[in-house]
Amino acid sequence: MAAIEISNVTKRFGTYAAVNDVSLSVPEGSIYGFIGPNGSGKTTTIRMIMNILLPDAGEVTVFGRHSSSSARDDVGYLPEERGLYKRMPVRRLLRYYGQLKGKSVRDLDPVINAWLERFQLTPWADKKIEALSKGMAQKVQFISAIVSKPTLLILDEPFSGLDPVNADALKDAVLDLRRSGTTIVFSTHDMSAAERLCDRIFMIFKGQKVLDGTLDEIQSNYGHDTVRVRVTGGRAALAGFTEIDSVNDFGNYQDLRMSGDPQAFLQKLAQKTTVQHFELTKPSLHDIFVRIAQPTAEDMKRPVSGAN
Amino acid sequence: MNRIFIVAQSEFLTLVKTKAFLIGLLLMPIITGGAIAFQVYAQKHSDRDDHKFVVIDHSGVLSAPLFASADAFSKKNGEGATRTGPHFVPVPNDTSVALDDAAALGSYRLQLSDRIKAKDLFGFVEIPASAVDPNVETAPAIQYYTETPSYDRFPTWLEQTLNEEITRRRFDSAGVDQKLVKKLSVRADVQTMGLVTKKADGSLEKAKETDPIATFVAPFAVLFIMFLSVMSTAPQLLNAVIEEKMSRISEVLVASVSPFDLLLGKLFGVTAVAVLLALVYFLGIGYYAIYAGRTELVQPALMGWFVIFLVCCVLMFGSMFLAIGSACSDIKDAQSMMQPVMMLMMVGYIGSFAVLRAPDSNLAMGLSFFPTSAPFIMMLRMAMQPTPPLWQPALSLAITLATTVAFVWAASRIFRVGVLMQGKGATFAEMIRWIRAS
Repeated sequence: MAAIEISNVTKRFGTYAAVNDVSLSVPEGSIYGFIGPNGSGKTTTIRMIMNILLPDAGEVTVFGRHSSSSARDDVGYLPEERGLYKRMPVRRLLRYYGQLKGKSVRDLDPVINAWLERFQLTPWADKKIEALSKGMAQKVQFISAIVSKPTLLILDEPFSGLDPVNADALKDAVLDLRRSGTTIVFSTHDMSAAERLCDRIFMIFKGQKVLDGTLDEIQSNYGHDTVRVRVTGGRAALAGFTEIDSVNDFGNYQDLRMSGDPQAFLQKLAQKTTVQHFELTKPSLHDIFVRIAQPTAEDMKRPVSGAN
Repeated sequence: MNRIFIVAQSEFLTLVKTKAFLIGLLLMPIITGGAIAFQVYAQKHSDRDDHKFVVIDHSGVLSAPLFASADAFSKKNGEGATRTGPHFVPVPNDTSVALDDAAALGSYRLQLSDRIKAKDLFGFVEIPASAVDPNVETAPAIQYYTETPSYDRFPTWLEQTLNEEITRRRFDSAGVDQKLVKKLSVRADVQTMGLVTKKADGSLEKAKETDPIATFVAPFAVLFIMFLSVMSTAPQLLNAVIEEKMSRISEVLVASVSPFDLLLGKLFGVTAVAVLLALVYFLGIGYYAIYAGRTELVQPALMGWFVIFLVCCVLMFGSMFLAIGSACSDIKDAQSMMQPVMMLMMVGYIGSFAVLRAPDSNLAMGLSFFPTSAPFIMMLRMAMQPTPPLWQPALSLAITLATTVAFVWAASRIFRVGVLMQGKGATFAEMIRWIRAS
C-alpha cells in the first residue's frame, strides 16, 4: 500500500490553481523529495497531505484513509525553521505536541528522554526554548515532529541553517527512521541533499507535476548532453564555442550543456587551452531544476502570485 | 474533546505560569489600595507648610476675628514633628500705606503680588467695607489673590470663617439672639431607607437605613472584577495567535487538531484563567467582608450568575480577539483592528456609571439587553437594589448566550482560513467573506 496516494488533485485559491491535476504515489518506507520553486504549489500539496486543506477536485489518501483526524495522528510535521513556543520549556513543549497527536504523557516521556539524550539535549530539558541556540532549537523541533512516532514524517527544509555536525546528526536520525519503516516526505531547495537522501523525487512547477521518479530515471530523461570540464583560463576560455548551449560555472569546474559530438568538441577545446578534466556526465538535479524553472521573458514581466 | 482539553490546559498553564499573570493578579489590589493609602498619606503629610497671608480689611472689623480663627486653626494642626496640617499665618499690614487712597492701594497690591512671587507671602485678601453692611443688597465680593489657585484649603477656610463672622454681625445688628439663630437653623437630614417587610410571624420588619457600601461600592466592585477579569485575559489571545502564526506554530497545531478544536481549547483555557482571577478577587473581598462583620454582602447565588456571565463574556470577546489575531500578520496590524472590539468592551464599563445612578432607566434596560454590554450591566443591576425581575436576567442571559455562540461560530470560520495565511493581513470585508464562504 502506498503511504500517500494523490490522484488528480486540484486546489484553487480564487481563480488561481495552486495545484493543478497532480497525481503522485509515495511508497511506504521511502524518502520522497519534494522540490520546486517558491510559490509553485509545494506547500499547498503538503497541506493537503496533512489534511489542513481539502482538495477542490481529486482525492488524497494517507495510508489508504481519506483525510480524517485518525490519519492525521500518524503524520509528523516539521515546518521550515521556528514552529516552537519561545517561552515554553523544552519538555513541556514536546509533551504538548505529542499529546496533541493523541499520545499520553506516560508513553511520551521515554521517547522524549531517548531523543533528548541522543541529541545531547538532556541538560536543556527544563530550559525555555528561547535559551537554546538555533541548532539546538532545530533539533528540539525535529523531536517535536517525531515524538508521537508518526508513520509518515513531513520535513520542510530540515537542514537549512544547520552546521555540518548538527546537519549530520539530523540526517542520521532521518535515515534511522526510514530504516524503522517511517515514510519521509522531504521538501527542500537543497538539490544536493535531495540527490543524496531521496529515493524518489517529485517536482512541482506552476501547480503541475514536472518530475517524478528516481534520480536515475529523471537524469536519463534529460539525456547525456552535459560535460563537466576543468580548463586553464576557466570560463573565459570557453567563450566562442558554438557547440556550448549554456555554462553552469562552479568556479573550479564548469558544467556545459552542449550539442554536437563531444569528442570533436574536446579536440577543439584542447587546441585552445589546457584541459585538466573532461567528463561526460548526467545533468545534476540542480541543472534540471534550473532548466525547468528558468523564468521566461514573459514570467519576468508579472510577479508570481499565490500562496506558498 | 480530549484534544480540546489538552489545548485548554496548555493555554491555561502558559498564561498562569507567567510573571505577567502574577503582576496582573496583584495589580488591582495594589493600585486600589495604593491610591487610597497615598491619598490618606498625602492629606496628612504633604500639606504641612506655613501659609502667610495679608488682609486688607476695608471693613475694619473682620480681620481681628479672622486672625484669631487662623491661630486656632494652626494650633489644632499641632507643632513640630507631630504637626498634621498647614498653618495659616497672618502677616500684619504695612501701616504706612493709606488704604483709602486708590493710587496708594493700587501700588500696595502690586507690592504684595511681588512678595507672593518672591515666596515671601502665600496670598492676600481684600475685604470690602460692604461686607459688614447689614442692608447689603448684592453679595459682597471678598477678593483673594494668589499664585496657587489650585490650593483650595485656604480659600475654603477663609470663606467659611468670614461668613460665620459676617452672619453673626448681621444678626447682631438686626437684634437677633445668636443662640436663637443656631436653634432655628438646625438642619433636617434625609435618611435613605430600604423597604419595610413582613416577618414570618406576620409582624412588620422595620426598614433599615441603606449604606453606601451595599448600594454603590459592592455592585461596582462586582462589575469591576468582571471587567478586569475579561480585560486581562481575552486580549491575550490576540498576541498568542499572532505569535503562533508568525512562528509557524499554527501549522504544526492544525496538523494535529482541527482549527475548531484549537479555537475552543484556547477559549476554554483563557476562560479558566478569567474565572480563577475573579474567584481570587472574590475570595479576598469575601474574606475581608466577613472579617469586617459584613456577611450580608457575600451572596453565593449572585456568584452563580456571575460565573455564567463571565464565561460568556470571555468566550464572546475572546473569540473576537482570536478571529482578529488569526486574520492579522503582525501585532501592528492587529492593534488598529482590535480598537472596535475594545470599544465594545468599554460600552459596558462606561455605561455602568449611568446605570449605578439610575438602575431602572431606559438606558440601563437597553444596555442590559445590548449583546456586548449585557453581561456587565445585568450583573451590575443584579448586585443593586431593586433586584430586576427574573425575566430580565433570563432574557439578558439568553441574548448573551446567543451572541456568544454566534461569535464563536463566526470566529471559527475566520480562524480556519486566517491561521494559515501568511503575508498580508486581512481586512474586515475579507473576514466577512470568510464567514460566509462555505
